[in-house]
Amino acid sequence: MADDKDVLRDVWFGRIPTCFTLNQDEVTEREAEPYYLLLPRVSYLTLVTDKVKKHFHKVMRAEDVEEMWFEYEGTPLKWHNPIGLLFDFHASNSVLPWSITVHFKNFPDRDLLHCPSNSVIEAHFMSGIKEADALKHKSQVVNDMQKKDHKQLWMGLQNDKFDQFWAINRKLMEYPTEEGGFRYIPFRIYQTTSDRPFIQKLFRPVSPEGSVHTLCDLLKEMYPVALPSDGEPKRYQVVIHGIEPLLETPLQWLSEHLSHPDNFLHICVLPVPSD
Amino acid sequence: MSRGVLDEESFRLCCRLLLQRSEQLRDGWSWKAVQGSEEGYLRKTALRSVVIDPSPARDQEGSGSDSEPRTSCQSCPDQQGREKEESALVASVDTDRVSGAIDDDEDDEDDGVCTVSGGSSQVLQYEYHILHSCSYAAPVLYFRAFTQEGRSLTLEEVWSSVHPSFRLRLQSSPLNTISLQEHPLLGQPFFMLHPCRTEEFMRPVLQAQDQHRPVNYVLSWLSVVGPVVGLDVPLKYSTSPGSSTEPH
Repeated sequence: MADDKDVLRDVWFGRIPTCFTLNQDEVTEREAEPYYLLLPRVSYLTLVTDKVKKHFHKVMRAEDVEEMWFEYEGTPLKWHNPIGLLFDFHASNSVLPWSITVHFKNFPDRDLLHCPSNSVIEAHFMSGIKEADALKHKSQVVNDMQKKDHKQLWMGLQNDKFDQFWAINRKLMEYPTEEGGFRYIPFRIYQTTSDRPFIQKLFRPVSPEGSVHTLCDLLKEMYPVALPSDGEPKRYQVVIHGIEPLLETPLQWLSEHLSHPDNFLHICVLPVPSD
Repeated sequence: MSRGVLDEESFRLCCRLLLQRSEQLRDGWSWKAVQGSEEGYLRKTALRSVVIDPSPARDQEGSGSDSEPRTSCQSCPDQQGREKEESALVASVDTDRVSGAIDDDEDDEDDGVCTVSGGSSQVLQYEYHILHSCSYAAPVLYFRAFTQEGRSLTLEEVWSSVHPSFRLRLQSSPLNTISLQEHPLLGQPFFMLHPCRTEEFMRPVLQAQDQHRPVNYVLSWLSVVGPVVGLDVPLKYSTSPGSSTEPH
C-alpha cells in the first residue's frame, strides 16, 4: 500500500493545460484575449474558473453578462462532471492546450445544470460522496462522520489540499478485510453509442466464489462491446484519468486509487481514433 | 422488501401494478423503456395551477407586498450554503434574463396566453418521472416544470411553489430536499427529491402492511413524496384490483 500512495498524489495533482476563448458572438467593448489555465483533473469547471470569468468581464458591459457556461466543439460542457472526465470523454485525442469556448448568454438550460454559486457545487459533490458510500458501506461511514468532516472533504477539494482531503477520505476507503472490498463498487461508464449519460449498476468487487473482479469482468457485464475480441483490431479504449489501465487490474484497487474525490470511478469507453 | 429497500426487479413489478390501476383510472401514467434494456421509468404530465409565492421562503412572516419583485428563497439544497444567499440572489436574476431570452426564440405549441408576473397564479406544465436508484435501492421522483411559454422553472420558483408547511420541513432537513440534477437516463436537467432518507420513512409503512393486502412500495412512497410537488395519488388507488371492493 505504501507505494500506492503515490498513485493518489499523481491522480490528485493531474492537470490539463487549457485555453479559454470568448465566444465570437459575445458583445465586447474591446478585443478579448484568450486566457490560459492549468485545470485540476479532479475538480469542477465552475469551481476553478473565477479568474476566467473576471478576465472576460473586464472587456464586457455588465448588461451583456449572464451566467457563464463552457463549450467544446459545439458541445456544452457539463460542469457537474469532473474536469478530467470531460477532457477524456470529449477531447482526449485532440491537441493541447484544450481549447474551451466561454459563453455569457443563451445558457442552454435543457442541457446544463445551473450553477449560481459554489454552494451548488458543494451540494452536488457531497451528494456524490453520499451515493458512493451508500454503495460501499450502506451509508454507514458518511453518516457516522461529523459535519466538520464533510466540510473538510469539500474544503480539501475546493482549496486543492491533498492531505486535508485524504485525512477524511481514507475512512471512506476502508472495508472489512475478510470481505476483500466494498459492498458494491461506485462506478459510472461513459460511452458514445447512446444518448444515455452513463451506465451505473450494482457490481461487487469479489465474485460469490471469492475470486477478485477485474476491470475486464466489469466491462464484460456492463458494456461488452468495449472489450477486444480475438483476432480483431482493438475498437475501443477504456480510459480512466487519461490512461488505459490494464483490463486485468482488480476493480477494488481501481476504486481505492483511481476514483475521483466524489468516490466514483468514472470510466470512459471511446472509439479508437481512426488514424 | 421488508427492510424498507426496493430492488430493481421489485420496482418494475410495482410499476406494472401501478400502471394497471392507472389505466383503469385513466390518470395518465405510462412506462418509458430505455432502448435495448429492461430499464425505464414511469412518466406522467399534468397541468397545474401554481402560485409562485413572492415572499422569501425563509421569512415566515412574509414580506406582505405583492408588488415587490420576486425575491430569492432558499436556493441552496444544503443548509451550509446560507452565507452565500446573496450571490444566489444575484444569480437568480441572471437566470431569469437568460430564460427570457430563450422564450423569444421559441414558438411553443400552446396558444394559451398567460403572462402573469410573480405572486399570482399561473398554469404550469409538469412532467413527473419515477426512476429506480440502485445505489439507494429506492424509487426517486424527478420532475420539471414549464410555463406556457416553454420557459423552465428555476429552482427558486420550484421552491416557492412548494406548500409552505412542506417547505419548512424540507428545508430544515438537508438530506431530504429538492435540487437540480442530471436525469440519469436522459442526461437533461431535472429537479429531484433526494432519495437518501427513503428507506427510513418507508420502513414503518412496510412493517405495518397487512399480510393479506401487501403494500405496493412505489404507490405508498408516491403518496408520501408526490404531494410535495403537486402530485396527488387518488384514494382510488388504495382500493386495488382484486380487493373485495372491486367488482369483477
